Amino acid sequence: MDFADLLVNAGRELFAPATAAFALAAIGLNFHFGLTGLLNMGHAGFMLLGMYGYAITVREGGGMLLGILVAILLAMAFGLLLGWPTLKLKGDYLAIVTIAAAEFVRFLGRSSVMKNITGGSTGIRGTDFKEPFESLSPFPSEQITIGPWTLHGTASTSWWLVVVSWGLVALFAWLFWMLAKSPWGRVLKGIREDEDAVRSLGKNVYAYKMQALVIGGVIGALGGILWSFGNAVQPDSMGRPTTFWIWTLLLLGGAATVFGPILGSALFWMALVVVKGLSAMFIPETLMNATQREPFALMLVGVTLMLLVIFRPQGILGNRRELAING
Amino acid sequence: MTTTIDRRVIVRAIVVFLLAATAITLVSVIMSDSAQATDAAAQVVAADTSGDEIATTDATGTGQIRWLQQLVNGLAFGTLLALASVGLSLIYGTTGLSNFAHGEQVSFGAILCYFLVTPQDITIPFVPTSFNIGLPLVVGAIIAIAVSAGTGWLQDKFLWAPLRRRGVAMVQQMIVSIGLSLALLNFIQWWIGGGRVRLTIAIDESIDLGVFSIGRQTLISLVIALACLGGVSWFLLRTRLGRATRAVSDNPALASASGIQVSKIIRLVWVLAAGLAGLGGVLLALYDNGTAFDAGARLLMLMFAAVTLGGLGQAFGALVGSLVIGVVAEMSTLWLPADLKVATALVILILVLLVRPQGILGRAERVG
Amino acid sequence: MADKKKATPTSADPFALVPHEAGAPKMDKIIVADNIQRRFGGLTAVDVEHFEVQRNAITALIGPNGAGKSTFFNLLTGFDRPQTGEWSFNGFSLHSKSPAQVARSGMVRTFQLTKALSRMTVIENMRLGAANQVGENLARAFFPALWKKQEQEITEKAEELLVRFKLDKKRDDYAGELSGGQRKLLEMARALMSDPEIVMLDEPMAGVNPALTESLLDHIIELKNQGVTVLFVEHDMHMVRRISDWVVVMAEGKIIAEGPPGTVMANPAVQDAYLGAHHDTDLFEER
Repeated sequence: MDFADLLVNAGRELFAPATAAFALAAIGLNFHFGLTGLLNMGHAGFMLLGMYGYAITVREGGGMLLGILVAILLAMAFGLLLGWPTLKLKGDYLAIVTIAAAEFVRFLGRSSVMKNITGGSTGIRGTDFKEPFESLSPFPSEQITIGPWTLHGTASTSWWLVVVSWGLVALFAWLFWMLAKSPWGRVLKGIREDEDAVRSLGKNVYAYKMQALVIGGVIGALGGILWSFGNAVQPDSMGRPTTFWIWTLLLLGGAATVFGPILGSALFWMALVVVKGLSAMFIPETLMNATQREPFALMLVGVTLMLLVIFRPQGILGNRRELAING
Repeated sequence: MTTTIDRRVIVRAIVVFLLAATAITLVSVIMSDSAQATDAAAQVVAADTSGDEIATTDATGTGQIRWLQQLVNGLAFGTLLALASVGLSLIYGTTGLSNFAHGEQVSFGAILCYFLVTPQDITIPFVPTSFNIGLPLVVGAIIAIAVSAGTGWLQDKFLWAPLRRRGVAMVQQMIVSIGLSLALLNFIQWWIGGGRVRLTIAIDESIDLGVFSIGRQTLISLVIALACLGGVSWFLLRTRLGRATRAVSDNPALASASGIQVSKIIRLVWVLAAGLAGLGGVLLALYDNGTAFDAGARLLMLMFAAVTLGGLGQAFGALVGSLVIGVVAEMSTLWLPADLKVATALVILILVLLVRPQGILGRAERVG
Repeated sequence: MADKKKATPTSADPFALVPHEAGAPKMDKIIVADNIQRRFGGLTAVDVEHFEVQRNAITALIGPNGAGKSTFFNLLTGFDRPQTGEWSFNGFSLHSKSPAQVARSGMVRTFQLTKALSRMTVIENMRLGAANQVGENLARAFFPALWKKQEQEITEKAEELLVRFKLDKKRDDYAGELSGGQRKLLEMARALMSDPEIVMLDEPMAGVNPALTESLLDHIIELKNQGVTVLFVEHDMHMVRRISDWVVVMAEGKIIAEGPPGTVMANPAVQDAYLGAHHDTDLFEER
């Protein structure tokens, strides 16, 4: 591997469908945390539910639209269920309940009891649910090379998926922008700053928080579906670390900003490739073998998250002046 | 703002605990009866009927009552869990931080102990030679616990205390702890690898007590754990420093005004919490016959469940909560597959939050 | 809201006939509270038998530390729930109403620890204060056409208020960048955005730079001139004497005396409460 390969690989991450899937999920989390200040620590649970909802519906012959509808309904129900007991309590409770509930979904999904439905810990194979989506592809079913990058036209991580994913990301980024600048978004920002103040101004804080939780969760579920198109439905890929990565990339790009989730996701995935590539090039095998590179890179992710929150909580795109105000 | 623990609160907690335990026991008895259709008077379970994968440490022999066995396992696991969750609760109580890196403190204790005692070759990241230390288990464990406690001191000195001084918001501090957890988890994996490791190759002898059995290692672990929990309780209830700790937990501003050096108390709490977590890690590794880089991460949810159940920030609540969670997790295997153990505990957590959000021992919060 | 004018006596002092005693009935009552009790564990923080507030007047609620003033305030505005009691605003019962419902009914409060929304600009803070906003509904938020016009009206109103409170130069600053006194002003101005009938001010002078106190006092008097009723909690007796028409004194959770500012402090019960046997025991810290 040399620098040119590394650059090509890193550049691929900039537009990869996985980057888009995480950006979309992060837009959902941006509704939660960026706008409303909700500590949703179970975002991966929303994603996993979305994946299950879609993949199982499609596998059972329900079709693509029904699959998306089921995914959305599941995420809505999950959000309502989680929000109902916790949104009246302090933020920590929501954090603990969401993380617990997300883990519960994962445990239940991978459990042997659910094997016939969710496929247990092996999950659902891509061939079981990707067909309807891939059949819509206008691209030829062959490897297509654009510039230095070669992807398949329609199957799995394909140019087709790239187009659809980024289209969705653009759509929801626009939606976020629209809503964030509306009076509705203003109430959410007020809640983020001080719930009681907003209550004293006659707004039903609970209802707003619930709306934000459900909307963000649904967007997370859609992000999960995108992710599953490029991979497969695998419960253990949607554990707590996934939630934490999304937090990292959201804070990296800048919470409450429109492009923060997108920039954050691109940088996050690129940085992982670059760190692994550089450590492979410069650290001899005797000091770090191939299996150690992944945890090494992810350790740096953790350190990045800490440093970001301590030294630049507003992220790359956040407003400089906000830094002075420690909310 | 009383600094003594309300006696009624303790009574209430015990009542809730007993009721929960009785209810679970009754349900499990009924379930096992109907499932196995055995004579209710004998209640003897000959063998596993459903063939589900039970991952408990103690083999269930004949002549033992399965639900009793699971209850004992649950209490044992709960006691060990309490070592970890009491620290988490103390940190929450004194600083307000939900420390997501507490699971890694547990893993760290266990893995460091493994590192010190294993006769196999081990390495340190970035050091190209492999070697082995091979200390006796007890010595290794003591060093590991001491070092764990030291990491608590270091963490507070160089990370949390500066953050508090800068007035960094609690939410941000919580996210810092998530970053720390991610970093530590992957550091430990980098260091020791992804596989399962064992602190000792000795096979745990099972002591058959007729109606249930318990491993010798487990028994020793339990004695140590109970002694330490007793020590912590004594410290909190009877010593000046302990009372000061509870005062800080109750109301830091008031405690500070009455001359308590809050920052020193918090430092102490970090040392204590990290040390207890390290001890919990070592003992749980013995109880589980092995440990892994993510052992603590797997426990974190259960610790949070225990702490929340007991009421955030209430040290004794965490103790009761841990026992409830331990018993629930183990007893659930009577009628649910073992891979849903943790899931059951999490459901209980969510249900309790619905009914009594302040936890078993917590007091309803004052608004405004 | 329509009968606001009608109820206001034009010239005569509305308190002329009101007896100087605890729980005194008022001529034109905007708030009536009965048997309000709030206990925390074994401690009774508030125990008010009867309480009335005169419309279009400035009423001060005073008392020594730990008298339960702030708790009583929280109870009236729905931020806390009493164990027993019934209270109403304009004859509309506020029992088990949420803080938001209380605010929507026309009773808006401020806080002792100012709750300016730090990472929002001053103008956004103000806009948030307006009631009945079309665009605050999620479904309608998608269509700016539905709320653009109202948004403009709100902005104009906000700008007028900012001028009145001398915050117009800070329009686009973050609220977190304002000084303590300016935040108090912002909070008060924001409360006025919804045209409340009564403004409840929790220690409006706490933490305000002395240079700003005069202007704050003028603003409160100005509120009354505009037909708004004011109820405020305060420690500072100078301020109470300056602006209030009527003073209600609380001690140990009970209302112990009422009267005009000039005479109420002469009441022996009040002096007892402030200087008496309990002056050295801090009951519990008020938040």
